[in-house]
Amino acid sequence: MSVTIKLFSSLREALGVSEIEFDLGELDGAPLEADVAAIKAALSKRGADWQEALNQPNLVHALNHKVVYLEATVSEGDELAFFPPMTGG
Amino acid sequence: MSVALQAEAIDVAAEYSALVGHAPGAAVATFTGYVRGESEGRAVASLELEHYPEMALRVLEELGQQAEARFQLSRWRIVHRFGQLGLAETIVWVGAVADHRGEAISACEFMMDTLKTDAPFWKREQGPDGVDWVGSRESDSRRRARWRSEG
Repeated sequence: MSVTIKLFSSLREALGVSEIEFDLGELDGAPLEADVAAIKAALSKRGADWQEALNQPNLVHALNHKVVYLEATVSEGDELAFFPPMTGG
Repeated sequence: MSVALQAEAIDVAAEYSALVGHAPGAAVATFTGYVRGESEGRAVASLELEHYPEMALRVLEELGQQAEARFQLSRWRIVHRFGQLGLAETIVWVGAVADHRGEAISACEFMMDTLKTDAPFWKREQGPDGVDWVGSRESDSRRRARWRSEG
């Protein structure tokens, strides 16, 4: 089991991918859950493009379809999305 | 009392009839948003709307329910497009039925101000100058914040 990571808008475009699976086992100590900040930090190490995309100002994170802070706890099977500010309407 | 996310144009007349039905409340207010030909001084030929379907549905349903409770609506409806949109096409339509005009009008404004910043849609404008993602606007955030402070 892993966490589904979804990317939208300019992040999806910059990274060339809309969805990946992230194994929490990649984190130090292979925890069963982690906060959004830890997952974001791990993904940022995947390359300069990831580092830039995930560290842009005003990045929004949504856990299971709800906007959350970096401190929110993510468990296996969850869906975590990263995207820029929303511009609907 | 429902939300629709759709690729096809919004049939505003049909939406209005369905909202009002055979028993209109005392006050009905609606808002329709269209694709503009100009954005911050740049010409716009068409618009692409990317969305996060599961989250958009959840956010808009919660928004309608909040509007219903806050403004004592008897009925409401939110319709939002996604995909490729041409100039002057409909983007969004909201409708609210209440006992008084103040509640109906405020509910539409509350739903629009909130969905602009809280519903996961992203606009990309296409024009003679190229293709560009639309940035968030400070004025939209201020309008959104009003509804928090007014309780």
